Amino acid sequence: MVGVEFRNVYKQYEDGFEAVRGLNLEINDGEFLVLLGPSGCGKSTTLRMLAGLEEVTDGEILIDGVKVNHLPAGARGLGMVFQSYALYPHMSVQDNLTFGLRMVKGEHRLSDQEMSERVKETSSMLELAEHLDKKPKELSGGQRQRVALGRALIRRPNVLLMDEPLSNLDAELRHQMRTEIRRLHDELGTTTIYVTHDQIEAMTLADRVAILDQGELQQHDAPLIAYNKPANAFVKSFLCRHLDDLVETANTLLRPAHSPKED
Amino acid sequence: MIEESTVRSWYTPVEVSTLRRWLIVSFLVNMFLLSVDVLRGGGTLGLGLCGLLLIGLMLNTLPEEASTTSRNITLVLSGGLLLVGLLRLLASPRTAFDIWMQGWLIGPGAIALIWVSGRPVSAWSTQTLSLSAIEFGLERNQRLEQRLRSLGAHIVLLHFVFLTLLPLVWILDIALSPGNALGGSLGGPMTGEHFSKIMGSDSFWTWMRNSLIVSLGTTLLGLVVAIPAGYAFSRYKFTGRDISMFAFLLVQMFPGIIILVPYFLVMKTLGLLNSHLGLILAYCVTALPLCVWMLKGFFDTVPRELEEAAVLDGCNQFQVFTKVVLPLSLPAVAVTALFSFLAAWNEFLLALTFNTSNDMYTLPVGLASMISSTGQAWGDFAAASLLVSLPVALLFLFFQKFLIEGLSAGGVKG
Repeated sequence: MVGVEFRNVYKQYEDGFEAVRGLNLEINDGEFLVLLGPSGCGKSTTLRMLAGLEEVTDGEILIDGVKVNHLPAGARGLGMVFQSYALYPHMSVQDNLTFGLRMVKGEHRLSDQEMSERVKETSSMLELAEHLDKKPKELSGGQRQRVALGRALIRRPNVLLMDEPLSNLDAELRHQMRTEIRRLHDELGTTTIYVTHDQIEAMTLADRVAILDQGELQQHDAPLIAYNKPANAFVKSFLCRHLDDLVETANTLLRPAHSPKED
Repeated sequence: MIEESTVRSWYTPVEVSTLRRWLIVSFLVNMFLLSVDVLRGGGTLGLGLCGLLLIGLMLNTLPEEASTTSRNITLVLSGGLLLVGLLRLLASPRTAFDIWMQGWLIGPGAIALIWVSGRPVSAWSTQTLSLSAIEFGLERNQRLEQRLRSLGAHIVLLHFVFLTLLPLVWILDIALSPGNALGGSLGGPMTGEHFSKIMGSDSFWTWMRNSLIVSLGTTLLGLVVAIPAGYAFSRYKFTGRDISMFAFLLVQMFPGIIILVPYFLVMKTLGLLNSHLGLILAYCVTALPLCVWMLKGFFDTVPRELEEAAVLDGCNQFQVFTKVVLPLSLPAVAVTALFSFLAAWNEFLLALTFNTSNDMYTLPVGLASMISSTGQAWGDFAAASLLVSLPVALLFLFFQKFLIEGLSAGGVKG
């Protein structure tokens, strides 16, 4: 298990757009951190820089105390769940799961037996055992989501990254997977960084939330602390007002259920 | 509540609506036939115009609800159309083309006459129908409409099938008839002499070998160059990217004959005249632009996230391409391969210019030489051309699944 640290990280794209500005963020070992913010706030860029999919313009990113700015993505020991799942369409579920393991060369390569044990373990954990021979297109949205999760977890990643993993699911499934993801985290204890724009996901999943706006960190605290003591006006309106509105809506929706008593 | 008048206004007997469609088609067909007839100097122009006019009028007077007059006028017009058709048939020579042409007047006339005088249309246009009668009529419409529509479509499509197959049947006929006449006799005596003669001749197999080497070489070399090029154009930004994409197309804009002479000089300097390699290189240059564009278009539809997932799974750039992108793009690669193979297989001009010795001929050039040197051996020629198209037809059958997938992939996935 490892921690992650961003030290004064900047990201400027070729067209001059500054996506991330001076980000300082520390994620503890085994922590579940949610990066929260409106679209375009730099949360995905932050995640992609950590994953090695974007270059860092300035600053340092450390995983387990090691600077990884120029380490190739595959060498960072991360698992990532993409928004579109990004399953390999031409491979079976089993091959999708083991693709990363099979790419390892040399002494770290697992034997076939170890590999099939990993598959067994992961597929039973995610209830995929009976789908191993299917192609992704034969699976439902929720199952695809679980394969994507399995593909990230089967490598026993140092850090698990998730980029809005639930946004393609319907409300019921989203709720289910949310519980599932939190359960997996409690079980495995993997350091997890989760990107979302959904305040509810952030409040229910996170140990701590990092709220970003326009490339700058606004607040980094436990969800309830952020809710009770918003650091500035933006956090207050983005997090607190939204949640208050939700509570109010829920109350108005529930009121008719009580009204017969009043009658 | 739906009002009775609404129901009534929604009911038209299927005959009337079908006639409306079919008459438009036959109007267009007759217009086309008439112009063909004028071009070949047919003598019954007046009657033809008359028929065209009648069809046009009929389109306007098709029966309406509760209008006995319009029905009667249509009846008269359709009778007239039938008569014009028959008269024209009598006046013109009885060639297959003429009979078929008059059929396009007689047919619509007869069908209109029968349908408009029939009970469903008569009852509908002359009296006010009860609701239950309309209900029955609507049910009948539903039953018949689909069938009539597909019948009409089939009649039209059969014309196209016939036009497409005619040359093929003709060639088959020439190839199977004894002697070397250009017009075979359908149903006459048949012989395999031309086929056995071609199959037995050494030069045919030499040409076949040359064609195969050149076509397969073009396909392979083309793919080896086009796949990475297409990928690079699709994924990377580099200086001159857009300009070179455009330059690719620029080459395609010139007719082949313009670059023929420069080509010849280049090949001569390189000493590649009368060689397979020379042709392969030349064909690659002509086929590449389209191949690169096609593959680029397909690679564009492969989501970037897939490649990022592969990178996180530990692939390097090359492995991302070979293990993820390429397997996904097989349909497009197959289409591209087929395209360059066909282009090389059928090419004539460059092959004729570059390879001048008999044992370096490709099939198209060899076939052409049969006509000039052995005194118009049409029978042998026809047999040989059938043998030449055979591999292509087989390729198409084999690649059909890929072809459809490859051609539609961009639309579905994007």
